[in-house]
Amino acid sequence: MRISHDRASFEQAVRAYSADLFRYAHWLCRDRHLAEDVVQEAFARAWKSWPELRELAFAKAWLMKIVRNEYLRACSRKREEASDIDENDLPALPSFEAGLETAQLVGLLPETYREPLLLQVLGGFSCAEIAGIVGTSEGAVMTRLTRARQALRQHFTDSGRRRAAR
Amino acid sequence: MNCLDFHREKLADPRRLSAAGRAHAQSCAACAAFARSVDDAENELERSLATPVPDGLADRVLLHAGGARRLTWRVWGLAAMLVLALALGLANREDPAEPAQEYARLAIEHVAMEPESLTTVRNADPAAFRSVIESFGGTLKAPLESIRYVRLCPLEEGMGWHVVFDTSEGLATLILVPDKPLRSTQTASTKGWSALVRPAGNGYYAIVTASSAATARVDRLMSERIDWKT
Repeated sequence: MRISHDRASFEQAVRAYSADLFRYAHWLCRDRHLAEDVVQEAFARAWKSWPELRELAFAKAWLMKIVRNEYLRACSRKREEASDIDENDLPALPSFEAGLETAQLVGLLPETYREPLLLQVLGGFSCAEIAGIVGTSEGAVMTRLTRARQALRQHFTDSGRRRAAR
Repeated sequence: MNCLDFHREKLADPRRLSAAGRAHAQSCAACAAFARSVDDAENELERSLATPVPDGLADRVLLHAGGARRLTWRVWGLAAMLVLALALGLANREDPAEPAQEYARLAIEHVAMEPESLTTVRNADPAAFRSVIESFGGTLKAPLESIRYVRLCPLEEGMGWHVVFDTSEGLATLILVPDKPLRSTQTASTKGWSALVRPAGNGYYAIVTASSAATARVDRLMSERIDWKT
């Protein structure tokens, strides 16, 4: 659907997506205040570029990408590059943290794995859409998502065994 | 599709199985069981990541984006006071009664709902705190220990300043609620917190600490270091 470039369509997008964008930013930053700042800045940038958005159907992915860029800008630090991680290996999670809950474990995943997982679980995006947002191939996204879920499953299996052995 | 392909596909995107994947799960009991366990984990993951969204986020985003510049805390303060004055003006016409511990309990609820205020440092600027006190109708005679956190927060009955500072008694939270008339002091203790609420300046303030003794000492500290307009 073609959208009109008016304040009403922007407000509609803010009300529809700000919660998902906040959660995405929150799990990237792991800081509620920084996450809110990131979302505010992202929407401010989005408003300036609102005429560039051609279809409402693309708004969520477009906004997620802006949030991601804003997060990187806010953090202003060198990120782990995908090439630094051997994607044949499962991401390491601390084995001693048997009592950790799912959300905490997601927070411990390396960012390379955490980010596509957040986009899929919180944003509902497909592997192809995530590839477009993070700027990599669909195959790489599929691998990272598979490894992230394997790591979480492995952790819970090991934790269950340790509890049973006590 | 074989079982290994199915596992890969299911783990990569549990909500979007291809037709071949769905057909495989129908013909393979082990993979069907695997799919159910992945779906259970996915539901748990979704629940776990659904972190609460701050109240009023969309409104703040629209204000910020509309202004095309970052709103300073001073502007937030003015905006909040205007909204609060309107809202409370209407509310007070209808129900002038105030339950004995209502505001003290609300202050404790607010601290309990914002635990990061006790673990993070935000706007830890003594000058900002001094301005907040002045905008609230007070004069800071001497600094209040070490300010760690200053934020304008949505509260049950409007907006207010949430301040956390270090004291010899440990961390103390001060919540300043403008334009809310209060007739008398209130106290409450619950959830391991103790609160004291007192009319002051343009509304009331609440002190929340981990014990009633510490709250009373912080209240004395407040009266020693801040003059409130009457």
